[in-house]
Amino acid sequence: MRLEALAVALPDVAGHPNRVPFEGVLTLVDEPSNRPPSGARGHRVILTRAAAVLALPSLLGMAVDYTPGWDGHDARRKCGIITEADVEGNRLQVSGYLFGKDFPEVEEQMRRSHAGAMGMSYEIANAHVADMNANVWSLTRATFTGAAILLREKAAYRETSFRLAAKRCRNAGLSAKGAPDRVWTERPRRPQGSNNGQLEKGKEARCR
Amino acid sequence: MQIEANQVEGAMSEGIEKLSAAVSLLERAIASLEQRDASMSGDVQRIVAAVEHGAEISQRELELERKLATAEQQIAELRVQATKPAAARKTLPASTTQLLAKGGITSLESIEAGALDAALTGLSLEQRIAVKAQLMRAGTLA
Repeated sequence: MRLEALAVALPDVAGHPNRVPFEGVLTLVDEPSNRPPSGARGHRVILTRAAAVLALPSLLGMAVDYTPGWDGHDARRKCGIITEADVEGNRLQVSGYLFGKDFPEVEEQMRRSHAGAMGMSYEIANAHVADMNANVWSLTRATFTGAAILLREKAAYRETSFRLAAKRCRNAGLSAKGAPDRVWTERPRRPQGSNNGQLEKGKEARCR
Repeated sequence: MQIEANQVEGAMSEGIEKLSAAVSLLERAIASLEQRDASMSGDVQRIVAAVEHGAEISQRELELERKLATAEQQIAELRVQATKPAAARKTLPASTTQLLAKGGITSLESIEAGALDAALTGLSLEQRIAVKAQLMRAGTLA
């Protein structure tokens, strides 16, 4: 299994009322979308693994948004932030925080909806298409500009997912899953609180 | 008269120059288009991995698609069935088959007109007409 990960380390704040951790599968890489995404002129698309990995840094710090109908993107309704992203196998996984206090309806929807009902959708800019005449567009370069939480049936990729995370401790999992052929080198963890806002590569224990 | 001829000649040469410039422009445009087609890659400003409103397939549409597929399958089956009687029509009454066999015609797939006439020479005119009518109904005679 191949794993490539990036994360922004935020300082731990116990019991933060406005941070509700989430995790999800934003998209699949090297696999065609189930349906044509908006803006792709009716073509289904493949986000290549190389393009996704190259674009990972652009994903960190981007917002997640939602629409009241849970059916698309609304860049003016930013209800959370992505702090970690990794490509594991063919899944681009993300995690981060919802602004639970500011958007109680989002947390409520997540708690109310049944498992597997919610999905995710990326928003990318400056996407380079290898062959505009191809039936399925292959995206070889892109910049992530945001993501949306929506009903899975409204996502162009049916295999996306979104859920509230019980606890922020993804790196324990990364450590176990990614050890065989991680591409990023491991760095020693800085003292608590001194790496605020730093970009981390690889696994570093960051449990809340 | 000479002046007029010179004017016409001048206008013609000017027209030819314009035309040749236009042809040159067109050639460059075609070359450019061919080059663009050859590369075929391009950039898209924004893609959102959500299904566009109105582009979703509703349950009703899915149901209609299923019904359409079933109907198309039934039509195809009916067409196949409709062709079967033509094959079945090749069956002739036993008496006719025997008559033809006596005349040396054993296969109904290809009957030559000369051979058929030769085979039917021993029959009366009415009988010949009857046999030919049966063969026509069977589809072996056009």
